[in-house]
Amino acid sequence: MRKILTFFIGGVLFLAQAVSAGEFSYSGYLKNELSLGLETEQLTKFKNIFQISGQYVFNDNFVAFVTAKYWYDSVYDWYERYDPAQHYMGHIQRNDWLRDCYLDYMNGPWFLRLGKQQVSWGQADGIAILDRVNPVDLSEYWLPDAVDLRIPLWMANINYSPKLNSNLQLLIIPDFEQSTAAPPSAPFTFRSYKLFMDFKKFWEMPPIPVIKPFYGVLNTDIYYPSKKPEHTKIGVQWQDRISDWDYTLNYLYGYDYLARTYLDSMQVIPPVGPPWYPTLIRNYSRRFKLVQMVGGSLNHTFTRQGPLKGITFRADAAVYMNEPTYYGDASTGASYGVNRWDNVFWLIGLDRYIFTKWLVSFQFAQYIMQDAKPGIDNYQTLNSYTNGAQDQVENIFSLKISTHFMNDKLKPEVLWSFTDDNQGRVSPKINYEIRDNLVFTLGFHYFYGNVQDSNGQFRDCNQVYTMLKFSF
Amino acid sequence: MKKAVLFLSILLFLSSYALATELEYFKVYRPHDGMSADQIMEIEYHIKYTKFAKDASFGGKAYFVDKSGFVREKETFRKRITLGRKSDDIAYKDLVIFISPQVKGMGTLTWTYMDAKRQPDSWIWLPSLKRIRKISSANSDDSFLGADFTVEDILLRRFEDETYTLLRTENFGGYLCEFDKKTYYQGRPCFVIECKPKRSPWYYAKRILWVDKNTGAGIYEEKYDATGRKFMTLFKNFEIFNVDGKAYPVQTIIEGKDLRTGHRTTIINTDIKLDQGLSEEEFTQRTLMMSRW
Repeated sequence: MRKILTFFIGGVLFLAQAVSAGEFSYSGYLKNELSLGLETEQLTKFKNIFQISGQYVFNDNFVAFVTAKYWYDSVYDWYERYDPAQHYMGHIQRNDWLRDCYLDYMNGPWFLRLGKQQVSWGQADGIAILDRVNPVDLSEYWLPDAVDLRIPLWMANINYSPKLNSNLQLLIIPDFEQSTAAPPSAPFTFRSYKLFMDFKKFWEMPPIPVIKPFYGVLNTDIYYPSKKPEHTKIGVQWQDRISDWDYTLNYLYGYDYLARTYLDSMQVIPPVGPPWYPTLIRNYSRRFKLVQMVGGSLNHTFTRQGPLKGITFRADAAVYMNEPTYYGDASTGASYGVNRWDNVFWLIGLDRYIFTKWLVSFQFAQYIMQDAKPGIDNYQTLNSYTNGAQDQVENIFSLKISTHFMNDKLKPEVLWSFTDDNQGRVSPKINYEIRDNLVFTLGFHYFYGNVQDSNGQFRDCNQVYTMLKFSF
Repeated sequence: MKKAVLFLSILLFLSSYALATELEYFKVYRPHDGMSADQIMEIEYHIKYTKFAKDASFGGKAYFVDKSGFVREKETFRKRITLGRKSDDIAYKDLVIFISPQVKGMGTLTWTYMDAKRQPDSWIWLPSLKRIRKISSANSDDSFLGADFTVEDILLRRFEDETYTLLRTENFGGYLCEFDKKTYYQGRPCFVIECKPKRSPWYYAKRILWVDKNTGAGIYEEKYDATGRKFMTLFKNFEIFNVDGKAYPVQTIIEGKDLRTGHRTTIINTDIKLDQGLSEEEFTQRTLMMSRW
């Protein structure tokens, strides 16, 4: 206790000294996020968030940066139907409160960032093609800002600039966290998870003559990569310019953050007495697989006279080697196994201002799987979010239009993302700056499509939402 | 005789054109009586974009005031390096870091080219994405970060974009700055120049610009629409900074008023430093990632 007190008092004195020396600065926000489900006519979110960041400049070479965050979502206390999700969705998890904690070192061509951090690669908006250095928290699907989606990791981020406008980045990531998704009963629980939990419930229910003439046990174990030096994730990015084109070359090697479910074994224990039902045991394991990503990005603004003047061109491309891909029966949503394929994901984006202040941003992406069939007749490759059928080539589009009025006080925006399977999401929103540090947002998420598709699975989750953010 | 007049006219035109296009970087120019409108305006642009200084840095605070008097504030820190480099056409590079709470840590990097017809290249560091994103430059006639002046007024307008007529020389009547309630430049001898955009139709039909005869700085302008109605005013206060024996006129106050909405914007530049020896390495995408508040 005495040690803690000494540490605390020391910390306070250190901060007080730093603030008085003018080397410490801070910022943060208080935010309320409220969502109303249109189908249920009930609140689906009432989340209060507090985040604070501190920056301490030791000298020209060293800077420390820390961000802490706390949130609490009260709807998980208010409605019984959310009870199963309360533990995970109701309040901040484990060590997620620490969003940044790193030390920067700068000296000539060297730039080192050591500590817990996020690293973002690529030029795509809202589609993670190269942006796979950090795992993601999809408990609210892909709706939050990227900075809140990514789960920060402890890593060494080493940068060297051999010449002007170039940068060689080496990432050494001994830390591991898995990507997470919403638990059952949350508004944005993936269909594949629901189906698995429904199956588990069915399997473990008491025997029913003819329909389910057995006792069932379903075991699931998860195996995390062991903390060995050889399991350290490695990332390399080379960034440079050729003429007026920026490009990067990227390489990432390490364990995939998303665990895949494997059926390891089935056991049958004969009945030992009346009512003479056997016991069937299914042993599943959730495992993480080593994958490699090779890719690159490109961007360029057409600045010279001509029809393309003012257009910004962006592109990302990646090959995921040995990417685990589910296969099974899409009609029932049953997964029967996992293939390891080399899949390709690429995107081009075009941005341009039109009519003075309307920014139009269009993206087209293709996710191409190595093969259309898993090699087993009647089985299909599955969308890991829904266990619905996954096309060998998925065509993905997004269109975003944004503008501003009233001296930037009012900023409307609409995002429409969709695929060639007639499914997608339309998300209009308006930001209104009440004061310098107080912004109100009113928005709407409309999902449509087949329930087996990524956005279509949430077609009953359309919601109106508001945000009120006070920054300091 | 006609030939001689024609020859002299061509010579005069060429000499004025030469001056209009060949002002050297890192030199300080002053206008004087007898100069053409083009010559004066070339100096005005030279000063506006601080082409005389190798680099500059300053803090900036912008006040957005609506008709009812409600004030919003934005704070930035800016750095500029002037290159005037023909090999890659780069005139100067700007780095702006936003310090205001709502957008704290956001940064933009802009490279402006010597070719007047080229748009700048811009990158933005978005704290909400933790990512550097290449962005399209806003259109020239869009407002500059929500202010009462346009992107063109602050960043994009070049000498080649307008035609100029010297209307008169006069003593400026003075400008009452609404921010500090002080009157600036009262009685200051000025060239009054009419500037007409070559682009037509455009969001203004002409500007009337008062250029300080002492420094060559454009201190006040009025914009008129096609009907001849004045709809916007822009005032700039310049202070002289002596650096290594050279007198640099630098903008310290910019105040724009939209006469249609009654909204005004005032930007106050502080902590101005010039020719500190900034390195071009400080104007790269990597610098954006390392941005400090």
